[in-house]
Amino acid sequence: MNVQFKKGVLNLCVLVLLDKQDHYGYELVQKISDQISISEGSVYPLLRRLTKEGYFTTYLKESTEGPPRKYYQLTELGRSYLDEQLVEWEKFTRGVNALIEEGRHE
Amino acid sequence: MNKERFIKELRSAIAKIPKEEQLKILQDYEEYFQMGQLDGKSEEEMTVALGNPKLIGKELVATYQIEKVEKNTSIGNFLKATWMVIGLGFFNLVIVLGPFLVIASLLLASWGVGIGFAAAPFVVLVNVAIYPEVFLLFDLFNSLVLCGLGLFIIIASYGMTKVCMRGFIRYLKYNTKLVKGGLEHA
Repeated sequence: MNVQFKKGVLNLCVLVLLDKQDHYGYELVQKISDQISISEGSVYPLLRRLTKEGYFTTYLKESTEGPPRKYYQLTELGRSYLDEQLVEWEKFTRGVNALIEEGRHE
Repeated sequence: MNKERFIKELRSAIAKIPKEEQLKILQDYEEYFQMGQLDGKSEEEMTVALGNPKLIGKELVATYQIEKVEKNTSIGNFLKATWMVIGLGFFNLVIVLGPFLVIASLLLASWGVGIGFAAAPFVVLVNVAIYPEVFLLFDLFNSLVLCGLGLFIIIASYGMTKVCMRGFIRYLKYNTKLVKGGLEHA
């Protein structure tokens, strides 16, 4: 799949994951790359950008193994952004699916 | 590529970002390597999974430049941000540089006309100084009218320049999003 397209989807994946619960960076990267192949390094710039835009806040938490982890938490602003993005996504996939169906029946 | 090389390349790619911010960015990747190690991954595997550090750096710098213009709109910042967005890909060379040149030349022309008109009375005065015998009241009145017109054009140019710069910043942001994935605007 096209790289640019994937990066847009990545936005949505991060938002959806954080909607359920807080995650730290590495965990987010692993969860996403388990499902779709991405260049894992591009998740961090995205996290920084969305944090700066006020969609996430971060906090540090000690862990039993390894260094303290930086957790990301969705803000109210982030939640409404997610809702918008989900509507867009559904509209988009519905459109593409409709086109695929049309193609099959012709 | 090993971890050290990845970090080194990323660091040199983000050299334009303030030190503090650089450290935070590098920390994210350090964390990634530490966690990956606990997961039993080799440095080689991890750098492959992360992707090209130069590209990651470019993206970070472009985001940083746009943020800076939004906070503080100076001509220098503005040009830097434009340049960085162009740097994100050939696609942007056409998409960003084209409209930029068109708008910039139109604004420049408008400023030129405004300043030229406003300067008209001075030209008449210079003319009088050189050829005192051909002083015409008609010329002076005409030039004063032009001057007034010129001042209006200058004011309009100033307003337009501001509006265009603001609009163009929005366009730049839209473009980085497009390069990062245009889905949001699809």
